[in-house]
Amino acid sequence: MGLNYQFVLWNKHKKMYDKIIVLSMLLYLILFAVVTLVFNSETSIETLILRAFGSLAIVLLHIILVIGPLSRLNTNFLPILYNRRHLGVSMFITALIHGGFALIQFHALGNTNVFYSLFTSNLDYNSFTNFPFQVLGFFALLILFAMASTSHDFFLKNLSPTVWKRLHMLVYLAYALIIGHVFLGAFQQETSPFTIGFLSVGFIVVGSLHLISSFREAKIDKSIIDKDAQGWLKVCTIDEIDDDRAKIFTVQNERIAVFKYDGKLSAVHNVCKHQGGPLGEGKIIDGCITCPWHGYQYLPHNGQSPPPFTEKVATYELKLLENIIYINPKAFEEGTEVEPTQIQKT
Amino acid sequence: MKNEEFYVPYIEGSLGMRTKRTLKRFVFIALFLLILGALLFSYFQNTFKNSTFELTKSTEITGVYHESPYPMLRVQIDENTYKNIILLGFGKMGAHPFLKKIRKEAITLNGKTLKIEGNLIYYNGKTLLQITDDEKVIMINSSITKLPKSKAISQMSFQGEIIDPKCYFGVMKPGFGKIHRSCAVRCISGGVPPILATSDTNNISQYFLITDMNGKPINNDILPFIGKPSEITGIVEQLEDWYILKINMESFQLISEKSNIYD
Repeated sequence: MGLNYQFVLWNKHKKMYDKIIVLSMLLYLILFAVVTLVFNSETSIETLILRAFGSLAIVLLHIILVIGPLSRLNTNFLPILYNRRHLGVSMFITALIHGGFALIQFHALGNTNVFYSLFTSNLDYNSFTNFPFQVLGFFALLILFAMASTSHDFFLKNLSPTVWKRLHMLVYLAYALIIGHVFLGAFQQETSPFTIGFLSVGFIVVGSLHLISSFREAKIDKSIIDKDAQGWLKVCTIDEIDDDRAKIFTVQNERIAVFKYDGKLSAVHNVCKHQGGPLGEGKIIDGCITCPWHGYQYLPHNGQSPPPFTEKVATYELKLLENIIYINPKAFEEGTEVEPTQIQKT
Repeated sequence: MKNEEFYVPYIEGSLGMRTKRTLKRFVFIALFLLILGALLFSYFQNTFKNSTFELTKSTEITGVYHESPYPMLRVQIDENTYKNIILLGFGKMGAHPFLKKIRKEAITLNGKTLKIEGNLIYYNGKTLLQITDDEKVIMINSSITKLPKSKAISQMSFQGEIIDPKCYFGVMKPGFGKIHRSCAVRCISGGVPPILATSDTNNISQYFLITDMNGKPINNDILPFIGKPSEITGIVEQLEDWYILKINMESFQLISEKSNIYD
């Protein structure tokens, strides 16, 4: 959490993370170049650069895309999620080198503007196999640029978390465009089953992990909750929630996190104001709900970040009858104080 | 067993042992996949041709200029043996913009002896010369040398692909096919002569300069067919070391088979 914006808030783990990213990318590029020069030495330097950076970008994108679902399935992956934006920006730079070089290589020094050439040199837009695949890569690069250039808390705050999140969800559109770019482009001519198979398996892994994590979350959303006569919803017993932890329930299409701490119960809206992290998967640390994604904190009884921070989430009223927790589905305004429900010691 | 570990970036020591183990495993697997990706994507590339583009080396060529119908320089390489070198401009341009200056010295260049300094491009017995500077095109002899006429052979059909010779014979790898189509369109629309590249079952290639039925350059009409496997029927003529294929655009047929020149 921070009040002032810095280009990067460095810490020990971020430095280690970035070293691993840079060294891995260098290793990839060197390996690609050495293998090509040894086994296919008639290559040109331009083709070597195009292919090394293009293939690295797509491998990196697959790694980036599995981090989200893996973190939802196993919280031990969360530290990778915490610094995912550095990996994303590195991937964009790699893709930009590939895309920029391709634009110059295939469209520059001709009888027309490079961008006009990009869209008009192949006009088979109505054909599947002859489709102008470079256009797909260009639009993917635009999306990646929008994402990379806003990968900072300054933009997150100023664009609003909702707009920022929607913008960054476009990564899936970029992924689809890139898959189309490769399958309708390079793979039309470079038809090795090993490379096509490698990318196909990557696509299946990315898709499967997203489906598995979505099904798991859908279970929470679909669980049936009984109502009492006053309209309060019966959610669970006290024993089902661990100390300093929470359980998540979906009430009227909103996820609510019910926390148990210091012999008390409090409920807040499950979505962190920073990047939409699941507060209910967080923990009470120093009396504050702590988001598992980036450590943003909120006081459980009023949903407010401790001063001097200003983030607020909605709060909910709870009641306890014979060890059963009930929740009033009507949310209070964000940051509204709600007296925690005391747990009677038996 | 419950996982009590909870990592908070700004809390020193919050990275637990189980989390560390998971992260190490993730890094090793990601690294393994990265290495595997580098090996697969680099090793399983189609073999590049041993074509050459002398980008950093200039060569002076002296020969008789002619347009048949594309700019060429006829160079004697042995007694009664001549080679016709296709002239090209810089970038994705034909030679004409680079011959404007020398044209001011003579009404017609056909048959005049020129000395041109440029970058050689060569592959499979064919040679091309890129002109980068119109100052390096010099007229050596303004008297007109008689040029041989092309000999008609017969009407024939060929399967192959329209390529731009600049990239195909050396500048790009690969300089054909779908990957390269946009660039070839740019080159041919910029004045680089279109060539039909064919390859028979014994992998022996033949190249045909494409013209219309009157022997005139055909650049723009051919653009939609570039880089696609095609069958073309036309009248074949031979001009020393080059074949010329005179075609009607109506005879152009796209075919679904993979072009042999990919092999």
